[in-house]
Amino acid sequence: MTATQITAPPARQRRARKWPIILALLAPALILYVVFVIFPIGQAFRYSLFDWNGLQPLTDFVGTDNFSQAFEDPVFRGALTHNGIIVALTLLLQLPFALFLAVLLDQDLRGRSLMRLLFFAPYVLSEVVTAVVWRQIFRPGGLLDAGVSAATGEQFQGLWIADPDIVLYSVFFVVSWKYFGFHMILMLAGLQQIPDDLEEAAAIDGANWWQTFRHITVPLLGPTVRVSIFLAIIGSLQLFDLVWVMTGGGPVNASNTMATYLIDWAFRRFQFGYASAVSVIIFVLSLIVAIAYQRWALSRDLDGAITVRGA
Amino acid sequence: MRTKRSRLMLLLTVLAMVLAACGGGDGGGATDSTETTAGDSENTTTTADSGTDTTEAEPTEEPVTIEWWHIQNNDPGLSLWQAVADEFMAEHPNVTIDITVQENEAFKQALQTSLQAGDVPDIFQSWGGGGLREQVDAGLVMDITDAAAGFDSEFNGAAASMMEIDGRMYGVPFDLGIVGVWYNKALFEEAGIDGPPATWDEMLEDVQTLKDAGITPISLAAGDKWPAMFWYGYMALRIAGADVMQQAGIDENFNDPAFVQAGEELQRLIDLEPFQPGYLATPWDGPDGAAAVLANSEAAMMLMGHWAPGTMSANGPDLAADDNLGWFIFPEVEGGAGAATDAFGGGNGFAVGKDAPPEALEFLEYLSSVDVANRVGGEANLLPTTVGSEGSITDPNLVDVISARGEAGYVQLYLDQAYPPEVGAAVNDSIVTLFSGDGVPQDVVDAVNASWE
Amino acid sequence: MVDVAIRGRGREPERSYRGRSPVARAMLYMVAFAVLGAIIIPVAYAVLGGFRDTAQLAASPVAFPDPWIFTNYLEVLGSGSFWEQVWNSTFIAVLTVALVLPAASLAAFVISRFSFRGREAVYTLFVLGLLFPVAVAILPLYIVIRELGLLNTTVGVALPQVAFQLPLSIVILRPFFASIPRELEEAAIIDGAGSLRFYWSVLLPLSRPVLATIAVLTVVTSWNAFLLPLVVLTDSAGWTLPIGVTNYSTQYTTDTARVLAYTTLAMIPALLFYAVAERQIVRGLVAKGIKG
Repeated sequence: MTATQITAPPARQRRARKWPIILALLAPALILYVVFVIFPIGQAFRYSLFDWNGLQPLTDFVGTDNFSQAFEDPVFRGALTHNGIIVALTLLLQLPFALFLAVLLDQDLRGRSLMRLLFFAPYVLSEVVTAVVWRQIFRPGGLLDAGVSAATGEQFQGLWIADPDIVLYSVFFVVSWKYFGFHMILMLAGLQQIPDDLEEAAAIDGANWWQTFRHITVPLLGPTVRVSIFLAIIGSLQLFDLVWVMTGGGPVNASNTMATYLIDWAFRRFQFGYASAVSVIIFVLSLIVAIAYQRWALSRDLDGAITVRGA
Repeated sequence: MRTKRSRLMLLLTVLAMVLAACGGGDGGGATDSTETTAGDSENTTTTADSGTDTTEAEPTEEPVTIEWWHIQNNDPGLSLWQAVADEFMAEHPNVTIDITVQENEAFKQALQTSLQAGDVPDIFQSWGGGGLREQVDAGLVMDITDAAAGFDSEFNGAAASMMEIDGRMYGVPFDLGIVGVWYNKALFEEAGIDGPPATWDEMLEDVQTLKDAGITPISLAAGDKWPAMFWYGYMALRIAGADVMQQAGIDENFNDPAFVQAGEELQRLIDLEPFQPGYLATPWDGPDGAAAVLANSEAAMMLMGHWAPGTMSANGPDLAADDNLGWFIFPEVEGGAGAATDAFGGGNGFAVGKDAPPEALEFLEYLSSVDVANRVGGEANLLPTTVGSEGSITDPNLVDVISARGEAGYVQLYLDQAYPPEVGAAVNDSIVTLFSGDGVPQDVVDAVNASWE
Repeated sequence: MVDVAIRGRGREPERSYRGRSPVARAMLYMVAFAVLGAIIIPVAYAVLGGFRDTAQLAASPVAFPDPWIFTNYLEVLGSGSFWEQVWNSTFIAVLTVALVLPAASLAAFVISRFSFRGREAVYTLFVLGLLFPVAVAILPLYIVIRELGLLNTTVGVALPQVAFQLPLSIVILRPFFASIPRELEEAAIIDGAGSLRFYWSVLLPLSRPVLATIAVLTVVTSWNAFLLPLVVLTDSAGWTLPIGVTNYSTQYTTDTARVLAYTTLAMIPALLFYAVAERQIVRGLVAKGIKG
């Protein structure tokens, strides 16, 4: 970089020049998004105020009745609790695990390309086959039971997804199994953006691995981790596909999430108005989380020009 | 659809996430209180629009396309329907039948979106009952009562009523089965049971005998919920009798004491703990399903519909091939008002879309003919509903089923099919809760009544 | 020129911190193997399951194929509809990615590096899309697609998929783009480059890892999407792989072994894509060290 002064155009000119560019660059995304996402969501908001079975015209206006009905339904409240448990477990268990694995894969272990490929494989599997395989593993006499029997020497038969008290945790395990790869590659990308020079410089200065990790890697990985946390929370609140095909929310509603609850009411009971109301509730909850999180965590990262720190 | 289009354009122009306050609705349809009359007038109008009277009209020679959505997505049904369509097209060169085949669950979703947008296929899979009623209320299906009366062939009475709403017919049936208990003869012998139980008390005794012999008495797919509903439905039918069952659908409540009693009788069975391990999560199908359990001789009995042998042999050894599979109808319940021959069942039919051309009805007449029905029974493993085609069933177990169907004075449609979907789901859920040991019989009644409001 | 400053490394970057003890390395390997086991066993189960038949799966859940049944895989590979579906899925996935990358990166570029009034509002608008359960939006979405005349077209599937991928992509891209040092941008301005040139010549190349990540996530999501293609693609000739798997189920039964064979095969293209893209994610380029 030269030492001469950087002369920028005068401010007003810059402002006038930038709006057309801003709009032009935003336009493709914005247009697609408003047509295919915002408009349907807006319609769903509208449906939530009606009692509607999807076939008749929208005539039965019930206002907020759908919402109060949801909160009065013990099954919905149970689903809400389940979502909360999944969020907590995800943040406490799944994310640290994904981070650990990303860092692991960043080391020069042999065979790590193959490992990276395999660790990501569950994410690529469709929910259908994930459910089929894990149901086979969890079934009485299945793979897991066989494994435990082999380990303990006794014939063991567990009710991994048949027992209402433990099914949620079994589901959480499978959800983690499937989705940790997502967070892992996010963090891998984040790790790759950390300049090697910094770490080498720290090593030159005598820092051991842990010190380097704590003082350089983790802070610089901060933005990525925060995005991961944000997506994990939102994803946990929206959790649907895997639960639906694995347990259907059962047995006896023990593994219901808000999303499986709403799909059940929409496509089995044909109560689209009510289901739309539940989806609005999910939306509002997620929105609260999103806003709070953005204020607190993400905004820190956005002005961050991470300059090269002197070695 | 015009109001929808202009609304869409408006929103696009404004580019804002504003809830459209002005709503134009779709045309037609009715609220619950006027369902019958509105349904009738709606359908009379559409039949007039499509250019036919309700009596047989002369089809024109213009090219006509019939859109047909069915769910027999595998052979033998797949080839059979294609052949039937081809034959009809050969006879009527101006007609093209456009077949869309989908798997069951995929079909339900695709149909729902299509109907909601107002696109109704001319002929489509229907299970009758409450689902059909909702379509009738929305004015989406055609009243074919008079046209069907003019068919050359006749339908089995129970089958016809499956496709009837308030006395008017909205489609044709092609398959009707009844539910019964499939059992493993070898396991019965092993436990020392002579033959199928004729009464409920005998059934409970047999369950105990099997348990004592170390055999799981009953395979139950409570994970899918509807198999548990079969137990309750039959019990209610046996105790309440046909009239009370029908009245419950009309009055829209389960207040008759028979419904609580049904739960109590079932409780006696549940208390014996006769089911396979993990039954609460066991699905019907698949290698971990209840069908597989029975096929692999891990349980002795299963209350299921007429498709059971097919699913069982797909998931395990073919018990029927070894003459090891038997069938008996749900036992009589002493003191119950129902007849021992009353049956609980359901089937498949084809509903007719409101805009269907008259050629579609001609096609359905051909499909319902005795010849085709014989092939339905002989080739497609379905239980045909055209009078005179019952002889086409050769599988000995299905012969039992179809003759019991013939003897039944009344066939109660599956509860989650007979009632509106919301009520059906409540029935299923509350019954599974009962089976899980967490509920009492009154809970079922309460949950069902609440859902009907 | 700014371009000169960006050099690619010829090999995979290593993080071998000096002083790592052999014990630590051994433990890392053990953990890696344990995780690998937890992953491989279920996946192997799916692969091997295709070599059995459903009756075998029912009778003995934990066993090797006995006998080995090849017809499941062979019949899937031999069926014309499978390859048709592979093509359809591939085409839609490629189209979706080809549209998502420019649209999302441009939007994220603007949101992350320009300051203008309403910036946060626009960003929040995009975030909103993440917060809403998609499945309920399917009914009104179907009507939109229909009104635009896009039913039964690949574009009719791709465009909404692009739209629904935008929120995630923008949320991921924004912090990455924001972390590109201002010095690079100012250097570009000195050299007379406008914003677009900066975007194209500096920002994008530097963001290859995260762009590849977005591409992978988009491809996988599109590859496994079920509901949207199901309701849009009414003609079975246009079906994608997830819809095709329903052919092995009927109203009453599912051929589970065939499903396992089919889904194993269906998984391969997506995994191959990841294998290719992963090198982009990991290889990276020299980041912010500005030479000269």
